[in-house]
Amino acid sequence: MNKLTVPTTQMIMKKNKMNYSVYKTLLLMAIFSVSGVLSSCSDDTALSGASPMPETTQNINSVEDQPNTQDVVAPTMELPSNVNWITNTEDNIFADPEAKKGGTYRAFMLSFPLTLRSVGPDSNGGFAGTLRNLQMGLVDFHPNTLNPIPALATHWAFDEDQKTVYYKLDPDARWSDGKPITADDYLYTLVFMRSEHIIAPWYNEYYSKQITDIIKYDDYTIAIRAGNAKPLDELIAATSLSPKPKHFHKLDENWVRDYNWKEEPTTGAYVIDKIKKGKYIQFKRLADWWADEKKFYQYRFNVNKVRIKVVRDNNIAWTYFLKGELDNFSLVIPSFWHNKAQGPVFENGYVHKIKFYNDLPQPASGLWLNTAANGLDDLNVRLGLAHSINIEKVINTVLRGDYERLETHHVGFGDYSNATIKPREFDLDKADQYFSNAGWQEFGADGIRVKEGKRLAFEVSYGAQHHTDRLVILKEEAKKSGVELNLQLLDSAASFKKVLEKKHQISWMAWSGGGLSPRYWEFYHSINAEKTQTNNITNISDPKLDSLIEVYRKELLKEKRISMAHELEQMLFDSGVMIPTTKVPYTREAYWSWVKLPSFYGNKRSASLVSAFSSGLFWIDTEYKKVVEEAKKQGDKLPASTIIDDTWRKK
Amino acid sequence: MRLHPLTIKKFQRFKKIKRGYWSAIIFISLILLACGAEVVSNSRALIVSYNNQLFFPVYNDFLPGTTFNLGYKYETNYRDLKEVFQENQNGNWVLLPIIPYNPYEIDYIEGEYPPYAPSMDTRHYLGTDAAGRDVAARILYGFRISIAFSAILLVFNYLIGTTIGCLMGYWGGAFDIIFQRIIEIWSSVPTLYIIMIIASIMIPDFWVLITIMVFFEWTGITWYMRTSSYREKARTYVLAARAMGASSRRIIFNHLLPNSVSILITFIPFSIAGGITTLTALDYLGFGLPPPTPSWGELLRQGIANMDHKWIVSSVVFSMIAVLVMVTWIGEAVRESFDPKKYTTYE
Repeated sequence: MNKLTVPTTQMIMKKNKMNYSVYKTLLLMAIFSVSGVLSSCSDDTALSGASPMPETTQNINSVEDQPNTQDVVAPTMELPSNVNWITNTEDNIFADPEAKKGGTYRAFMLSFPLTLRSVGPDSNGGFAGTLRNLQMGLVDFHPNTLNPIPALATHWAFDEDQKTVYYKLDPDARWSDGKPITADDYLYTLVFMRSEHIIAPWYNEYYSKQITDIIKYDDYTIAIRAGNAKPLDELIAATSLSPKPKHFHKLDENWVRDYNWKEEPTTGAYVIDKIKKGKYIQFKRLADWWADEKKFYQYRFNVNKVRIKVVRDNNIAWTYFLKGELDNFSLVIPSFWHNKAQGPVFENGYVHKIKFYNDLPQPASGLWLNTAANGLDDLNVRLGLAHSINIEKVINTVLRGDYERLETHHVGFGDYSNATIKPREFDLDKADQYFSNAGWQEFGADGIRVKEGKRLAFEVSYGAQHHTDRLVILKEEAKKSGVELNLQLLDSAASFKKVLEKKHQISWMAWSGGGLSPRYWEFYHSINAEKTQTNNITNISDPKLDSLIEVYRKELLKEKRISMAHELEQMLFDSGVMIPTTKVPYTREAYWSWVKLPSFYGNKRSASLVSAFSSGLFWIDTEYKKVVEEAKKQGDKLPASTIIDDTWRKK
Repeated sequence: MRLHPLTIKKFQRFKKIKRGYWSAIIFISLILLACGAEVVSNSRALIVSYNNQLFFPVYNDFLPGTTFNLGYKYETNYRDLKEVFQENQNGNWVLLPIIPYNPYEIDYIEGEYPPYAPSMDTRHYLGTDAAGRDVAARILYGFRISIAFSAILLVFNYLIGTTIGCLMGYWGGAFDIIFQRIIEIWSSVPTLYIIMIIASIMIPDFWVLITIMVFFEWTGITWYMRTSSYREKARTYVLAARAMGASSRRIIFNHLLPNSVSILITFIPFSIAGGITTLTALDYLGFGLPPPTPSWGELLRQGIANMDHKWIVSSVVFSMIAVLVMVTWIGEAVRESFDPKKYTTYE
């Protein structure tokens, strides 16, 4: 893109000096619209946490993730005698037995992928999620109970060291090209992921330091060892790898180039069927998928074909959807749900709408106060600020009442989340009290509090331009409390860099909620305070907090960890270093009525309801599709439907 | 001050070009209006009469709600105060500006979500933007910032550009050749990319933006000044002046500059338009002045994101077109009246 535009700019400059700025405007507008689209690629979010993946931002290898010494263990070929195999056949199935097979599901993506490789340069775009979802892990996780369920492995067992997991592979498992999946593929995974030829330093490092060893006992029994001891639920999530097909890859210095457009055999139900570069990618379901009869894979992955077409603009995609050329459309954005999703196709019942509350770990969105900056070391100032921040007004105005108030840092972690904490509300009297305690009782001529000639003003840095309208409301409301918030919009990478260098005063940002349980060490242990490139962006340093965090980290018993997590969350709430803002505890979707959802619509962890590869619960009723199309032609009415399901809503 | 007869003639010619002349009058009145924007559009009242005491909040310190017995310590909401006074009928009164909103303030109507449509009742004459801020107020204050930006940018660009251009033409030789090359290299630097890069790592406030722009854009006028000084330098009156022993300083300031000034003047309106569009483009892309500064570019972006709420995009597009068309007409008229070649037309 840059290569194209630079010479054009110069050409125009030479041609006509006077009109240059007008051209610049138009040109830049064009560039902006393209880059905006590229950056907002959608993806089919993975349900399970099986495969590790690098996050584009906000993934910092904190010191905790580095094992102190590299384990050097000679592989033993003898399986320990005390291995206690576990499996899961008790949990209920989470798909609908009514599901019918067949039909084609049509979706869209905003840009065509740059490669079909799952690792290496340009591979972590929007399409990476789809590719990852074509592959299975050793185990999967039940979306309601969160227990492990068999996938490529039928049984698993934990070693006493809490670092090693044994897996018994399913002998039925086949690659999509018919070859069996054996222990050698897992051994090869380590070779592959550590190879310099894949040009993927993040994976190189992860598969060296986090996955230290894979041991083969026989063709269908392996052990995987993690870099450090973890609670069992986290250990199995970390070691549940997706294998790499040994017979397919030829690793050499040309691998990145040679495998750009080669279709890797899959372990899941779908393979790539047809590709038209720049236009679409079509997938087909395997006719005799090896897991078809397995308990947790029955009634899932129902459509025969999936075609993902490139539509470069969300609004154009919306018109495609209204014409019936796409089967579903996400309505999470307020303006779509409230304004656009109206009119004849909805009233006549051709298209249905659903708002489905799920229960996923919520990103920790908030204002993060840097206690090392500008008087924020004073607890009274922090609490005064918390009571001067009017999140309710933001929710009720620009967010149209759609978002909800986030209560605290860790929400959506099941039992680990402390549900007793209620966020501090906008309250000018309380704010006044706290600020006065801190000596900020005088007001200056502009209505901002002053103390010893200093104004009570803070810089709020943020990196998302579309959040500006939320922040201006906070700014205006905070003025009522005598606090000035100076908004500092930076490019998202620059804003993140500033925070990691701890140069911010207040940072408006969200940390994606990773893991199965809250992580306190990275964010709140004093060892990470006053240091650049760590996640302790509040610079909080409290010996009491430290000691509890250390106990929490080492504790391997779930019940104890839960009670400690509650206590830690309360201590953090009392410290007021983070002002939690909003959460979106639901997904919203519009879908043509021939798309059938299960009777329970979705599961606790369903990030989206109509997803072909990650959960694959929906199906397409081809008979009913004819009925709808006929009714559309005649203008007949069908039953309309707007479902609001709050089964999993946190009360 | 006594004007040179030639200058008077130029003004007379300018006056004869009707659309340029009227554009100039409207444009100058708009600038005057923008200078006094606080009186036109403000959440503070112009005058409050409370218990027989007069308050003038616009250009004074903030008055907490307690001043008027309203029971809160933050700044008085004068629109509410007006209603309170009207209900109580104690002879107290409030005089609000025509647009009773400031460009930063968020109006929130119970049970409705912004953006709000234009309405005489709410006194949002052009509606509000997506955050509930008054579009008319933001256009007015945004215009003031754009004009100030363009004007200051122009002064600095011309100051540097003219000086260097004149010297290049007057001295010629090595100085000329070196600067020609420097300027050629300099003008091929993609300014907007540089601004974007800088803006993404630091907050570009008003002066920082001006500095960056001047740093890269002073070159534009040098070529014209250089050619003009070259031409004038060779004229006989300069030779005569030099023969009479006039210093370089005297020749440049008394002979070259006054005879080149018509070039500068004809370029001014277009430079102003250029400055406005550049700032708008930068704000549109989010690399301009930091939010929540009122700006046309930011409004334009909001308008495009909220096409269903046409008043946002139409207000800013109309204002933009009106200003740019007026400036172009003024420029056209200026060129026609100041250009010595009387019968050329502006291409």
